[in-house]
Amino acid sequence: MTRSEPPAEPVVALINEFTKLPTIGPKTAARLVFHILNRPRNEAQSLSEAILAVKDRVGFCSVCASITESDPCAFCRDERRDATLLCVVADAKDLYAIERSGAFHGRYHVLGGVISPMDGIGPGQLRVRELVERVGSEATHEVIIATNPNAEGEATALYLSRLLAPLVATVSRLAYGLPIGSDLDYADEATLARALEGRRLM
Amino acid sequence: MRITRITLANCRNYGEATIEPQAGLNVFLGRNAQGKSNLLEAIGLLGTGKSFRTSREAEIVREGYGLAAVSADAVVRSGNVTLGFTIARGERTTRKTLTINGRAVRYAHFLGKLRVVSFAPADLAVIVGAPGLRRAFLNLALAQEQPNYYTALAMYARTLRQKNALLRSGPPYDEELFAIYDRTMVERGARMTLARAQYVQTLGPHARAEHLRWSAGEELVLGYNSAIGYEIGDDEAMLRERFERALETGRTRERARGAALVGPHRDDLTLALDGRSLAEYGSQGQHRTALLALKVAEYRAMAAATGEAPLLLLDDVLSELDPDRAARFLDGLGGFEQAFVTATHLEHALPGATAFSIEGARIARVA
Ligand SMILES: [Zn+2]
Repeated sequence: MTRSEPPAEPVVALINEFTKLPTIGPKTAARLVFHILNRPRNEAQSLSEAILAVKDRVGFCSVCASITESDPCAFCRDERRDATLLCVVADAKDLYAIERSGAFHGRYHVLGGVISPMDGIGPGQLRVRELVERVGSEATHEVIIATNPNAEGEATALYLSRLLAPLVATVSRLAYGLPIGSDLDYADEATLARALEGRRLM
Repeated sequence: MRITRITLANCRNYGEATIEPQAGLNVFLGRNAQGKSNLLEAIGLLGTGKSFRTSREAEIVREGYGLAAVSADAVVRSGNVTLGFTIARGERTTRKTLTINGRAVRYAHFLGKLRVVSFAPADLAVIVGAPGLRRAFLNLALAQEQPNYYTALAMYARTLRQKNALLRSGPPYDEELFAIYDRTMVERGARMTLARAQYVQTLGPHARAEHLRWSAGEELVLGYNSAIGYEIGDDEAMLRERFERALETGRTRERARGAALVGPHRDDLTLALDGRSLAEYGSQGQHRTALLALKVAEYRAMAAATGEAPLLLLDDVLSELDPDRAARFLDGLGGFEQAFVTATHLEHALPGATAFSIEGARIARVA
């Protein structure tokens, strides 16, 4: 009869921590732990410091709820950004996606998700009340709703547009079109239909 | 359309296998559990992006492996195309990737590139099983014929789940949110109802004619039972109105029951033989004949709607028929370009067929 030795307690503890993270199962967690064991101590130190720094130094902007080291965030403080334009995104990673495009120079509002009763998320769990207050008190002319074009994103956009319509001159929805560099005959019909709906004059 | 090469890697019991099927009949002979159905399933994956054998698609990945892949070169009307399907089994989830000529595409785009009609003895459940199986039959056929149908269906199904979750959460309800879900369901559901009802009208004459060739004068009639009250001649706008009215009438009931009770997710394809419900009154022989007629109708309708004969996948079906009946069945399809047929044995050789043997997940051409 053979008896296998259980792994050292700290190894078990770290595997447990890793499996709490999204997309990481026990096998991946074990791989990460053994990778860390094989690396020099200073690498483990900078990893743990980076994790703590995210929690200690980064917070949410009290105006737009984006991720920031100072409150209000750089987007909300920047006087050159157009304060009459407000772009509503589901979460911070969508904000950075739009920011990377370099095509938007207004302000942002991060909802913190989309409406999804399946996941127990209603308008009350999102920063909808804050959005209404902002639109009502700031000099907003246009709200651009930039949620994803799926069932939840569409429902959220419809919900917000009904709510905001009495408060602001224009509520618009991001147009979804063809990916740059793609061929028309290889686009699916839903994408093409969307691109047609969102067409513009030349 | 036809496949000129197909490669399977770590699908079910297959390690790696490549075959070069020919135009016309391709017959795969072998004992049970050697991989015949698995091969047809893999071909089906390239047509519909979904398994026609299981909803637990992680099962497709070979035991002990993380990734299964199927790829094929196909000749379709618009030219040559290479289609790929991979499924990765993770620790918690599975991830599917669909490719056209090596580029990843969305499901809606993949559908309909290679169209398949599959027929296996287990399909008898479509005739005698729950309405959901008949809706799935309609959905899969329509999604291949009209990619737009799939878009409406996907949006409808997801919105339905959200509305059900909202209903289950109980009062007080967010009325604004209800109105939004209902609006989306009305818009997409009216389109789905119309597409399905028209599709059943197209299938009807094909199924009736094919059925008459196999039965002694019994008349098979297909119908579409619509929860929102579709009537022949309705257009999409009229169906939206019907749907809205049905929602209004059913509102109290939906809230009392905590479930969405109105819409095409409650519909059914009806089959009647000489005026009597086939599922309730038919014999097993009558059920089999009706299924055969329905499958031939599906095939003919798809060929007519798209102007291109779909691939025909017959899993252990022809061996149930004697040679005369097998020939009559193939004849009823009105010509096919390529068919994949599995059997444990064939009493008589099928004329013009290319034969393969399958043994322990090895496929070999039989001279
Ligand atoms: Zn901010």
